[in-house]
Amino acid sequence: MPTGTKHRILEASVLLFNREGLANVRLQQIADETGISVGNLAYHFKNKEAIVTAVYESLFEELKQILSTYLSYPSLNDFDHQLNRYYAFFQKYRFYLIDLFEIERSFPDIIAQWHEFVGKMIIQIRRRIDYSTNRGILVPEPTKGLYDTLADNIWMTITFWIPQQVLKGLPLDESTFKSALWAQFQPYFTDKGWEEFMDTIAPVEIDRG
Amino acid sequence: MHRKFSLSKEVYAQMLDGLNNLYFSDKLGFSSDLKFIADDFWLSDTAVIEQLHLRKGLWEVHLIFAYPSAPIRFLKRRITSHANSKRAAQMAFYMRRLAAKDQRGTISINIDNFNLSLN
Repeated sequence: MPTGTKHRILEASVLLFNREGLANVRLQQIADETGISVGNLAYHFKNKEAIVTAVYESLFEELKQILSTYLSYPSLNDFDHQLNRYYAFFQKYRFYLIDLFEIERSFPDIIAQWHEFVGKMIIQIRRRIDYSTNRGILVPEPTKGLYDTLADNIWMTITFWIPQQVLKGLPLDESTFKSALWAQFQPYFTDKGWEEFMDTIAPVEIDRG
Repeated sequence: MHRKFSLSKEVYAQMLDGLNNLYFSDKLGFSSDLKFIADDFWLSDTAVIEQLHLRKGLWEVHLIFAYPSAPIRFLKRRITSHANSKRAAQMAFYMRRLAAKDQRGTISINIDNFNLSLN
């Protein structure tokens, strides 16, 4: 993670990308937001493409850290904690989803890396379902392929929950995000699953709500 | 330029499977697995006695760990050896000090504790 002025430039860029959209932000705006001159900005990053690439490097680094928290401890809380981090991540970098097509056109390398991370996210969710099934938290897969679809749907909710709230003009809050995700697991909970959910996840949700 | 390291989806999935299995294959141990620690507790309260033996031209330092309340329970170990008897004696002194819980040597073994019958 870059430090000092570089770090401030990246923070300001993320802020502006979220507010104005990736295509609409000019170097002058980034310099103004950071509180430095354009000349100084050019010393650190030669053009906007370099800034976007650096922003994506830190974005991927953060995503990597979230993925590395898989199964830190064997309970539903593990996923709940990962959801907190996913929420913070997608809120911080929500410009990515809004400017998805612009990025796809202009930065094919970044998109290739995204595809890799998306693949890993889905595999993790799928393996988490397998793990919960083996632990007796979820019922065995009712029909073949159903849990693959469930994993895809959960990934979709994690990734696109924020844009859909924006589209509906509804406020963003973490507990609604998490409720939307847990609701997808609930139809498949066993009695043991419900018991663990009510003991560990539900009280926290109610407290926040 | 180096290509960035990346795992294929299949390998990543297998890795997570391994991690999942870890939680099922790891089992709690039995308390008897650590019995050897309890079995050796008596050693911490022993009187330590040093001995020197001349063997094959070398002075061997032996330490005897004797349990004062049941002197028949003891352990003898060769610690080191020296060509010089003075150095061996010095080494024995320091080794005893190092090994004994009671460094001043007040824990001692009385010959009467053995209840020897000389008949």
